[in-house]
Amino acid sequence: MSEWLNQAITQAQGVSDWLSPKRDLALSALADVRWPTRKTEAWKYTSLRPVEKFSKTAPASFSKASSLTQIDGFECLDLVFENGQFVTDLAELTLPEGLSIQLASQADSAKQADVLSKFSSIKPERHVFGLLNDALVQDVLVIEVADNVSVAPALRLTSILSLAAQAHTRVLVVLGEHAKLTVSEHYQGNEESLNTGFVEYEIGADARLEHYRFALQTGKAVSLGGSHFQLAERADLNSTLVGFGSDLSRVDVDMVHAGENAFAKMNAFYLLDGKELFDLHATVEHAVPHGTTEENIRIIAADQAKAVFNGRIHIHRDAQKTLAELNNRNLLMSNKAEINTKPELEIYADDVRCAHGATVAEIDKKALYYMQSRGISRAKAQVMLNFGFINELIDQMPNQELAEWLRPQMREKFSQMEVK
Amino acid sequence: MTDQIDKALEREYEAGFVSDVESDTFEPGLDENVIRRISTMKNEPEWMLEARLKAFKVWQEMEEPDWAHVDYEKIDFQAISYFSAPKSMKDKPKSLDEVDPELIRTYEKLGIPLIEQQMLAGVAVDAVFDSVSVVTTFREKLSEAGVIFCPISEAIQNHPELVKKYLGSVVPTKDNYYAALNCAVFTDGSFVYIPKGTRCPMELSTYFRINEQNTGQFERTLIIADEGSHVSYLEGCTAPQRDENQLHAAVVELVALDDAEIKYSTVQNWYPGDENGKGGIYNFVTKRGICHTNAKISWTQVETGSAVTWKYPSCVLKGDNSVGEFYSVALTRGAQQADTGTKMIHLGKNTKSTIISKGISAGRSNNSYRGLVRMNPGADGARNFTQCDSLLIGDQCGAHTFPYVESRNPSAIVEHEATTSKVSDDQMFLCQQRGLDPEKAVSMIVNGFCKEVFKELPMEFAVEAGKLLEISLEGSVG
Amino acid sequence: MSNTNTKDTSSLLTIKDLHASVEEKNILKGLNLDVKPGEVHAIMGPNGAGKSTMGYVLSGREGYSVEQGSALLDGVDILELEAEERARAGLFLAFQYPVEIPGVSNLEFLKASVDAQREARGEGAVSSADFLKLAKAACKQVNLPLAFLKRGVNEGFSGGEKKRNEIMQMLLLQPKVCILDETDSGLDIDALQVVAEGVNSQRSSDRSFVVVTHYQRLLDYIKPDFVHVLADGKIVKSGDASLALELEAQGYAWLQPSDEEGQNA
Repeated sequence: MSEWLNQAITQAQGVSDWLSPKRDLALSALADVRWPTRKTEAWKYTSLRPVEKFSKTAPASFSKASSLTQIDGFECLDLVFENGQFVTDLAELTLPEGLSIQLASQADSAKQADVLSKFSSIKPERHVFGLLNDALVQDVLVIEVADNVSVAPALRLTSILSLAAQAHTRVLVVLGEHAKLTVSEHYQGNEESLNTGFVEYEIGADARLEHYRFALQTGKAVSLGGSHFQLAERADLNSTLVGFGSDLSRVDVDMVHAGENAFAKMNAFYLLDGKELFDLHATVEHAVPHGTTEENIRIIAADQAKAVFNGRIHIHRDAQKTLAELNNRNLLMSNKAEINTKPELEIYADDVRCAHGATVAEIDKKALYYMQSRGISRAKAQVMLNFGFINELIDQMPNQELAEWLRPQMREKFSQMEVK
Repeated sequence: MTDQIDKALEREYEAGFVSDVESDTFEPGLDENVIRRISTMKNEPEWMLEARLKAFKVWQEMEEPDWAHVDYEKIDFQAISYFSAPKSMKDKPKSLDEVDPELIRTYEKLGIPLIEQQMLAGVAVDAVFDSVSVVTTFREKLSEAGVIFCPISEAIQNHPELVKKYLGSVVPTKDNYYAALNCAVFTDGSFVYIPKGTRCPMELSTYFRINEQNTGQFERTLIIADEGSHVSYLEGCTAPQRDENQLHAAVVELVALDDAEIKYSTVQNWYPGDENGKGGIYNFVTKRGICHTNAKISWTQVETGSAVTWKYPSCVLKGDNSVGEFYSVALTRGAQQADTGTKMIHLGKNTKSTIISKGISAGRSNNSYRGLVRMNPGADGARNFTQCDSLLIGDQCGAHTFPYVESRNPSAIVEHEATTSKVSDDQMFLCQQRGLDPEKAVSMIVNGFCKEVFKELPMEFAVEAGKLLEISLEGSVG
Repeated sequence: MSNTNTKDTSSLLTIKDLHASVEEKNILKGLNLDVKPGEVHAIMGPNGAGKSTMGYVLSGREGYSVEQGSALLDGVDILELEAEERARAGLFLAFQYPVEIPGVSNLEFLKASVDAQREARGEGAVSSADFLKLAKAACKQVNLPLAFLKRGVNEGFSGGEKKRNEIMQMLLLQPKVCILDETDSGLDIDALQVVAEGVNSQRSSDRSFVVVTHYQRLLDYIKPDFVHVLADGKIVKSGDASLALELEAQGYAWLQPSDEEGQNA
């Protein structure tokens, strides 16, 4: 077992507050948990060395210079965590009618009981870092949208860490019936740090959530969080996940169809270079009939990077008439890089339409020739095609401002990859 | 429709009879002494015994794997007998006339006549009954072509140089729990050697029969196709209907040297247990082949039996331009569980693999495809195509797909597709409207679903496989 | 067949005894063709004669290997060049089946093509603003909505839109020799006219066209100077525009004597 884990457990043990019931559950589960190794299926390709050797020095003090990213034209309310502490002054925010944002520690006991009942309920089988987040989290930021309310500005959740810092954040987002909301999660930084950022979303009947998770930490930043979604009847989720990869970046996305006729779409793409690793585990639970899921995952891995994707679709016995499709396409750009992908189907209902496809390939030779026949050099054509491969999913992002902000960053990262 | 399906699936297991053959059977239990006794019974040289004892130590230190999507009671390895042979086999009958007629009748009942005149002219058979090979037909005719086809226990004595060189070269002792166990306790199985440039003049076939109660069958098969040779090998298996689970833990190793081709076909019809999952064979098998330059190994399997199947016939594509193929139909019904698939390990340049897997689940069964395609850094220009289709019949069964794709070569191309479907009401209605009875309609639809795989089987087997599916699905929609 | 045998240094495209194969199957078996500046040559012939192969071999598609013969473009032997070098030398192929490139916008693709070709000629890049003007004009000329510039290359375009997109590329690239590979296939009469007008607007004394087609219909709109019949990998008959009408009336069978090496179609 890792020394870091023992230390984390010790740190959590002394605390007693309104979260204690959940913390105690997590701690007792942690007591039985085995530290994942290559033989642990869920961590088969992802080494935890960066956690094991995570420095134990005190975090550097926070520099105010690392301010928020400017996104042109993106209208949003900012909610910021610095080294895991929620630092936004809620009193200063002007919230639209029907939107409430509060820290659970400052709420009344009824609200706290409500938060506790929802805590880790979407994804009860938690891996070791999920349990650690359960144990170490000090507060829950609660965001609620009332029934029939469409919130115009997006909510931007930003988690910033300084050198040697650890952050264990938790956000609960609840959308009432017919509510509409856009949430954009941003994880950034490249200094040695460690975060487990989990956000849980309960999407009410007929509600619509537009969601982004930008896992853009690079370098030595270790990131081990996740986004969990539960969809009620006719709920609509459109999620985009973007990953850059660092020494260790792992995201767990869970989508649970709890009400009939819900629609979940997830596009994910990652662009990896150097010795970066990015691991996405996406699980879809179809627990009820008539659900629809669409997933598109695209990966480019260059140099010595390592990409891991595990996409599980689980159709429960009663989930008849489910439509679920997963499409995973991968480009490998070097024979020191690797792509490990595992699209899984687990089906217990017969009247369903499920399919998945995964390819690892060179770029389309026909397209390459077509471009060459117009005079574009092979090398240039290759770059254009590779970028186009990712750009197709950027084009599908519903929020144009975020797409315009992301595209040049991806292009930049991409052109750096080409130089090597 | 579900009730009718359930009812229809309560079909008889036709190979479920017990033969009245007097046997010498070891007491249940496993220790070094048992292994020494097996080795003595087989009159083995010292090096073989040493290898067995070493494997036993390795096995004792290993843990039983639990990653497969199957659920069964833990096996008590001390409750199994590791050797059972018909008494009449003790004196090693020299010809078929000396073989106990009850044994011959057993195989006849299973549709495998052992008398050469009655046999399909093109197929040579090695008949393995519990722990021993009863008879191997057409040996003389084969030896004219230089082909060696004999029980592996004989090969250990008569062809030690080949056995020493290749046994364990594809599936090492430590490979997995059941393989290690097999290395320690294997009793019999087939040995095949095809000399350089030779096309084996007939199909080779081994028929495995478990008869005795509480025995495990641990067979070992080794096929070596020397440079430029070609062989097609068939394997069939059945067991009596018993309430206890019986263990079958085999290891099959194929070696295809440069430019050689091995086609290995299996029709697996072990007793699957009753409707409630009582009894039946645990089929935990390791099958793997290695392809040298320009060689080809093709696995075709039709799996309808066993209570639990754990089996991944694989290819290591070591040589440049080598080819691996896996064609599989797995049908599960009742409470059967199958976790089967393949591994294609691409090491050489321009290696190619094709995987076609058809899973059909009915009743309350669970049917999983588990596969690995790995492109190593040296596998320039390698290609894989995988198609996994699942067909669900009824709403109480499960169909699962667990494909692992690992690529480390940018010029390698991997394509994996999986779909799932059911026998639709529309299809049924169309067939019925055109005058087909529902039973025929289902069998037709299922046969169509499996066509790509059946066409890979040798002719006689294809017919047999089709029939087997038909029987298995008998009256499935009444 | 006078034009195929004349050695003339002023030719824009000279193909001599070209033999080529795909997947070890011989397709072109001694093709000769000589195209002078300003000429329009129509290549007709039955399915499988090698018409599309000719375009692919000349433009350097992977998998097509030249066994013997030569092809000079404006005096330069192009058969050893990369596909993009041939394009930069002035060869343009309008694809029978234009390729879809999702994620790469048409505009980006067009600009990259024009830039690459200009650079090869030692000309400076066109500014983005100027290029946009050019592209818009070309877009209008082939009757495509301007929105098509922003969409992925040929992505979700109808058959007719793809063909018009090919002509738009030709307008922007200003090649010396244009090979139109069954550009008329799958087009309705309106789209056919748009394509023909695009081609006709580009006819000039220093540019030549090789129009590969199955039907004479296109030749009502693009008047050829010569018509050649390609059968079994070589040109078996050449003539003027009237040959096309003759073919339309009688089909191809009469051109392939059944005693010729047993290779009748």
